[in-house]
Amino acid sequence: MNAAVHVGGLVKSFGRARALDGLDLTVKTGEVHGFLGPNGAGKTTTIRILLGQMRADGGQVALLGGDPWRDATELHRRLAYVPGDVTLWPSLTGGEVIDLLGRARGGLDPRQRAELLERFELDPRKKCRTYSKGNRQKVALVAAFASDVELLILDEPTSGLDPLMEAVFNECVLREKRDGRTVLLSSHILSEVETLCDRVSIVRAGRTVESGTLADLRHLTRTSVTAELIGPAPGLATLPGVHNLTVDGARLRCQVDGDALTAVLAELARAGVRTLTTQPPTLEELFLRHYEGAAR
Amino acid sequence: MTGTMTGTGTLIRLILRRDRVLLPVWIVITALLPASIASATTDLYADQAARDSFAAASASNPAQLAMRGPIYDASVGGLTAWTLGSSLALFGGLISILLMIRHTRVEEETGRRELLASGVIGRHAPLAAALAVVLAANLLHGLLSMPALVAGGLPAGSSLLFGLSTAAGGWAFAAVAAITGQLTASSGTARGIAIAIGGLLFALRSLADTGGIGWLAWLTPFGWVRLTKPYAGDQWWVLGLIAVFVTALAAAAFALSTRRDVAGGLIPARPGPAEGTLPGAFGLAARLHRGTLAGFAIGFGALGALLGVAARGLNTQLDTPQFRELAATLGGAEAGLSDVFFTFVMYVLSQLVAGAALVSALRARAEEAAGRAELLLSTPVGRLRWALSHLVFAVMSPVLLLTVLGAVAGLTFDGDVARVTGATLAYLPAVWTVAGIATLMFGLLPRLAAAVSWTALGLFLVVDLLAEFKLATGIILDLSPFMHVPAMLLGGASSPAAPLLGLTVVAITLTAAGLAFLRRRDLMPSA
Repeated sequence: MNAAVHVGGLVKSFGRARALDGLDLTVKTGEVHGFLGPNGAGKTTTIRILLGQMRADGGQVALLGGDPWRDATELHRRLAYVPGDVTLWPSLTGGEVIDLLGRARGGLDPRQRAELLERFELDPRKKCRTYSKGNRQKVALVAAFASDVELLILDEPTSGLDPLMEAVFNECVLREKRDGRTVLLSSHILSEVETLCDRVSIVRAGRTVESGTLADLRHLTRTSVTAELIGPAPGLATLPGVHNLTVDGARLRCQVDGDALTAVLAELARAGVRTLTTQPPTLEELFLRHYEGAAR
Repeated sequence: MTGTMTGTGTLIRLILRRDRVLLPVWIVITALLPASIASATTDLYADQAARDSFAAASASNPAQLAMRGPIYDASVGGLTAWTLGSSLALFGGLISILLMIRHTRVEEETGRRELLASGVIGRHAPLAAALAVVLAANLLHGLLSMPALVAGGLPAGSSLLFGLSTAAGGWAFAAVAAITGQLTASSGTARGIAIAIGGLLFALRSLADTGGIGWLAWLTPFGWVRLTKPYAGDQWWVLGLIAVFVTALAAAAFALSTRRDVAGGLIPARPGPAEGTLPGAFGLAARLHRGTLAGFAIGFGALGALLGVAARGLNTQLDTPQFRELAATLGGAEAGLSDVFFTFVMYVLSQLVAGAALVSALRARAEEAAGRAELLLSTPVGRLRWALSHLVFAVMSPVLLLTVLGAVAGLTFDGDVARVTGATLAYLPAVWTVAGIATLMFGLLPRLAAAVSWTALGLFLVVDLLAEFKLATGIILDLSPFMHVPAMLLGGASSPAAPLLGLTVVAITLTAAGLAFLRRRDLMPSA
């Protein structure tokens, strides 16, 4: 069994609303897996099912080789979770919560705990009631990163962190990966997923719409090309794989399918190129393409 | 001066929208109570002789004096004002505290105020809006109670004064809560301080009326609402005293609110330990419950002491024909008068203990709703273990509180701790049953658990009132678990086993069913 998480055809309804409608998700052991989707796509519901806090209405779920509902307690020894909206006990200090969670997970490394507190610039003596959202998130992150577990489940963990702390977070995730741990990272922040993740699953309206490595997904999308030409390039308009072509005097813009790039560059070279900019597709564009349907 | 009040109107509309059910229900019920009690009084005590003898009995009953104070006039109006004056002040005061904190400190604690404050909302607007709504709601139920009283044949002027005096309790504690809401960053603490002040001021009034230290009653709003003396001389000017009190406290609250940051408190938060030693779910639960439990234990200990001291020498002091008669109907001819008194008071106090048990029993749901359970349950702490860690306190807190109450009362009364504690502990299965209802609902319909459990306890209290005024019999009375508790001090001790065992079985069944449902359902944070 080399999949840390295996979910197939997952269905979950709340009353009449269908939150999950046949969602698939496979996270291989040792990888950092991005779980991408807009708010309300079903990411948190999936994670709650993986944690045994909700029961699926249909489909298969396997977590670390076990059944997350039946074997919850046993499986939780091997994972750490950071919720998207961290709420803590107002009368406890951050340090007390970190130790409570760490102890419950079977103890944490005091050296790592101290190091993480320093890197995240978190004062553990403050009462949780006085922490900002970002600081509450740091408490849960420190407790998770300092635990000795196989799997980290992080639900939009950086939504309250400033860019500096995001960088610290990224380093921590990469270190976890080096140590051979598996990370499931739910997010709608695309740059974060681009930097960290080996593979990505994109969900929309309770279904997985795309799954694969970033390279796989890029293959599916278009590169933006902007060029200033010396002569005209009349053949471009009829080339297959060229989209949204606009010509403004010598300046030209278009989007090009991955497999049509060679032909397009040849055509441009024939006309003569003064300047050329190409941009790889960002995940924003991937997203837009997948959610176009929902918006319509 | 542009601006500190800007947006008050918007916020008032927001509050009215959020409480569109609660406010009308509270106002209507409170407005209807006076007329219904007046008509029940007319039915029960048909002529002046009957009312006089009832008044004489009540005047010599310290429990009644402690709860309701002296009867100023044995007319239908006078008895109605006496029956409801203190209770409505307590009830209105409590609701006003809860509403004020809900719309001031809770808004800040959850960060919603910050969202609003960034819009066009003046610094004083949130407090002003909350005060305006709560004061107006109290005034409204006071005014609305008048027409029905007048229709029932009571004088209009006195009825208006009575209505306004029932509103005054709510006013006073809205003002108290306006201040405590400024003191700490925690809404729980703000609420707790306000309620504690309320308890203290009520105890002061009790002491004034049972201890014969009448002037003490002038120091507390609970005294003032009675000292307006509706239907017994109508001292209108006492309302002015209340108005001064409310104005002064409200002004102080506004002054305090300019001296602190949004979401901050005047009492600064202290740093705590950087490392924790909580050994797991049970350690955490103990930490979460201990403060509340200690507060309750001190409170019930104090009540026990008050009770014991008041009951001392009661056998001679209370030896009036009226009270003898009451004692005989309750406990048989040879029942001791102080025992009757104890039994009477215990019945009421046991329901307060049930309220304390509900707080503990609903704690797990509160943890779940806030999303804190989600984090804890993602660790190897199992769901049942987590629920049990809180349930232990729902089960043990009434044991502790009833023991403290009985032991202190026994000690200060006649030293027979075992006998009095036995009588208080007899209420344990009934209290467990109330906690069992909460646990059942927690498993079955978690979102409604708090509302249903508190409503159930409220209904049991209503059953009491109905029983007291002989407005209900038989099956309705049987619905309240408290009605089944044997009066241990009045001969109930001869065969207490069956009802106590029965209630215990009911409590265990409710609790077990709740836990079984909990294991099967989804976790439901409120967001």
